[in-house]
Amino acid sequence: MKESKLINWIIFVFLIFFTLATIYPVINVFTVSLRPGDKLLSTSLEIIPENATFESYVKLFTETDFLKWLFNSTFISFVVTLTGVSLASTAGYSLSRFKFIGKKSAMLGLMVTQMFPATMLLLPMYIMLMKLGLLNSYLGIVIVYSSTALPFCVWQMKGYYDTIPFSLEEAARIDGCTRWQAFYKIILPLASPALVITALFSFMSAWSEYIVAAQILQDRNLYTLPIGLKSFQSNLTTEWGLYAAASLIVSIPVVILFIVLSRYLVSGLTLGSVKE
Amino acid sequence: MKYIKSKFNLLILTILFISFIFLSCSKKPNNQIQITIWHQMRVDEREVLQRQLDRFMKLHPEISVNQIYKETEELRSGFIIAAIGGQGPEIVYGPQDQVGPFEIMNIILPLDTIFSNKFLNQFNEKGLIWSNNHLWMIADKLGNHLALVYNKKLVKNPPKTDKELIEIGKQITKDFNNDGKPEQYGLVWNYTEPFFFIPFLTGFGGWVFDEKNNPTLNSEAMIKGLKFIADLRDKYKIIPGEADYDIADVLFKEGKAGMIINGDWSWASYGKAGIDYGIAPLPLIEETGLYAAPMISGKGYSINANVNPEKLPAIKLLLEFLLAPEQQLETAKELNTFPTHKSVYNDPFIKENEILINSQRQIELGKPMPIISEMRAVWDAMRPYYQAVLGGAMKPEIAAQKMQEEAVKKIQEMNEDVSSTYAELIFILTFTIGLIVVLFLSRKTILAFIKDLSRNSFAYYLVLPAFIVMILVIIYPFVYNIVLSFSNMNLRHINDWSIIGFNQYIKVFSEPIFYTVFLKTIIWTVVNVFFHVTIGVALAILLNRKIPGKTIFRTLLILPWAIPQYIVALTWRGMFNYEYGAINIILTKYLSLPPVEWLKSPLEAFIAVIITNVWLGFPFMMVIALGALQSIPNELYEAAEIEGANWFQKLRKITIPLIKPVMIPAITLGIIWTFNNLNVVWLVSNAGEPSDQTHILVSYVYKAAFNLYRYGYAAAFSMIIFLILLVMSLTFLKRTRATESVY
Repeated sequence: MKESKLINWIIFVFLIFFTLATIYPVINVFTVSLRPGDKLLSTSLEIIPENATFESYVKLFTETDFLKWLFNSTFISFVVTLTGVSLASTAGYSLSRFKFIGKKSAMLGLMVTQMFPATMLLLPMYIMLMKLGLLNSYLGIVIVYSSTALPFCVWQMKGYYDTIPFSLEEAARIDGCTRWQAFYKIILPLASPALVITALFSFMSAWSEYIVAAQILQDRNLYTLPIGLKSFQSNLTTEWGLYAAASLIVSIPVVILFIVLSRYLVSGLTLGSVKE
Repeated sequence: MKYIKSKFNLLILTILFISFIFLSCSKKPNNQIQITIWHQMRVDEREVLQRQLDRFMKLHPEISVNQIYKETEELRSGFIIAAIGGQGPEIVYGPQDQVGPFEIMNIILPLDTIFSNKFLNQFNEKGLIWSNNHLWMIADKLGNHLALVYNKKLVKNPPKTDKELIEIGKQITKDFNNDGKPEQYGLVWNYTEPFFFIPFLTGFGGWVFDEKNNPTLNSEAMIKGLKFIADLRDKYKIIPGEADYDIADVLFKEGKAGMIINGDWSWASYGKAGIDYGIAPLPLIEETGLYAAPMISGKGYSINANVNPEKLPAIKLLLEFLLAPEQQLETAKELNTFPTHKSVYNDPFIKENEILINSQRQIELGKPMPIISEMRAVWDAMRPYYQAVLGGAMKPEIAAQKMQEEAVKKIQEMNEDVSSTYAELIFILTFTIGLIVVLFLSRKTILAFIKDLSRNSFAYYLVLPAFIVMILVIIYPFVYNIVLSFSNMNLRHINDWSIIGFNQYIKVFSEPIFYTVFLKTIIWTVVNVFFHVTIGVALAILLNRKIPGKTIFRTLLILPWAIPQYIVALTWRGMFNYEYGAINIILTKYLSLPPVEWLKSPLEAFIAVIITNVWLGFPFMMVIALGALQSIPNELYEAAEIEGANWFQKLRKITIPLIKPVMIPAITLGIIWTFNNLNVVWLVSNAGEPSDQTHILVSYVYKAAFNLYRYGYAAAFSMIIFLILLVMSLTFLKRTRATESVY
């Protein structure tokens, strides 16, 4: 046991070191947010800059539409997450459990949609949404975001279902469950770590997307966070203080979401359920 | 289990509820005339504009005006896309050079048909942007020009000539702590962008075009200008070894530079940062007797060609209001910009304000920026060789010659006019025949599929919703792109493009640079994904053990994923700076290693971009691996331990095979995303610096094609990227057998 304690200490020190390296740039962003006079860089390495001020944070909430953007982004990301999780959990299950014609091409088809450089799709996507009357609407953007997040989500779910033994459903079917019940009563709860990742990914892809949103949403009342944040910068003169402050605040919901979800990430439900 | 079930029902209910919201919140109709303005104004300018719009709407309650900010490049490309689609804002506001492409593409209205001569005669000639006998833009601000800004604390009298500039520069440049590196510089400015080089070109008697609009970059003046800047740094040592816009800006703001060359947009921010600053015209070059003249550009309003004629009177009313003397004077007072309405020039404020007087002197000495779209090609041609000279990789003589060759080539590519009479017919024929052949060959599969549909209906029902959403969004854009890649769509053929066959594809493959960039992309992808996965999985395995503070580590380690990429990428760029960046400081101070010129040499810059992207990407893989590790039952490890397996054996025989089904799709998609990751390369290397040496395929196509409006070429290039990725992922998936289940 002594040996394992030593190993744990080594791991602990390694993690601390790695975490410090990870958060250093983040601390840098924090420093920028405290600097007076909109400076992105500085010639000093101090974390708390000279004349540090929380002005940017105050200004962010009092003088900009930050809360409105926050609300819009939260709403859109939430809907995209729901769509992503529900569609991917079912489609992934089907792709993992059933043999049917077109399955392989369907899976490849999903992958293929990711291969095209996104900037190229902007013009046709704009024209299409215009023809469908979906410009400047949440519905349009939710459809686009869902479809960009789905391929990863479906594949991820499929991969995870693959690791759950078939025998579990067979047992459930013998106990009198329908196929649907076997899926959502037995398998879905077991797949909760994958659901968490799917949710987090869907949320992130909607939360931080900029290019499509900027082209589709033209009404300032509909602006999402990335578009709002971008308006703090203009060619060569950027309000770095505001931008950095906003960036840090923007990451808080993601972190909270992650903390809340990580309870399910460590499910431990498989313990004892597999008896091969 | 009940718990989960009720959750699932809740989820379905929420979806229904939200779709209900969508359906019910359609917009109320109103009779107000809506006008939208797209602009690229800075924040302080936007505030003034909004005040003026509010006053206008009070005067005309029947009109409602909406102003929307877009970044300059995005304004241009976004407006083009929207206008091609027959939509877009009624009014665009921006610098005069955007008129060039807009005019050729026919997406703005000639203003001389809307406004009377009497109205137009009230404006400074430089504010009226004419081309081909039509007026396309009316400016409300003149300038956008560079001038010499000096810190009055350090510089008593601004230099009038280049000799004085060097003299004063030498006096101010000081090495306070005697470490051989000055802490205070005489002069700073962004010397990576050709726009900031123009004054030195003109000062030595050069210009970018001749009378016939042919580029004139291979000139004595160019060579002398380039040498002059190199001398300022290497011979007189009055400017820092490395400076981009942000570095120059911060040095001046912190009082560590006596003078900066910067544009009228920046001046006010120096006052805000507490610098007592003055403005002076750029110095006279004694050798030629010419002033270093910056480019001058007006900024003003143009009207979208798609605008509904019924709206024109309202738009006219609005523009007349915004351009009126009262508004212009207000703007000038607030922002220190130079107005275009002649009647304002006699106002005491304009006549007596020190900044404005000097600004006006600089405007008079400046040269108007050409509005022709060829200017884009000239910038693109100058940038890499200018940077190469400053990086010491190229002699000025050779650089000037290369710039010229490149500019001529780019202009030719941009204006290329290929058409083919039969290509369209052949294309449609081949396409139809191909489709029929495919359908015929797969007829058995299709029939079997239809049969299978009823037999396996449960499986299909589960997949269907996801696929409907996918197809909805992907198919149309995809087909559109294929068609475009066979077309000649470019600056000259925006709405009248036609199919020309394989031309664009041939062009992509015939460029030797394609192959080197391709190789870099492969290296970029492999290195990145390798580190993402190994770091991600390693951390996940460590975090899966019993460690104190596990949750805190886990949460902190996902931060790179959670914070908007844009800001962290730029922070990293700052960290790689030669003199002030944290990385070099750590290298030199704590590790006693020599500093690295991260952003100046191609290899180091490429490594810098990769380091940034590894940092940004590992948390994602870590989270996935954390999830995957949960699918492994503890009993397997316990059993292995009883059998006497060591740590490494458990990793190889249990962990890796069992997380594979989850990791393989993530890795495959990771490869695809990394291959196409434009953002990081763009931000950290500042669009391919130095000298366009850090490009990967997507950033290369973005710069080569979109800067010059070559849409057909860009589409073909993207198709090739697509095909490369397709082959790569198929091979990878086949090797790893990811489409099959483990059980």
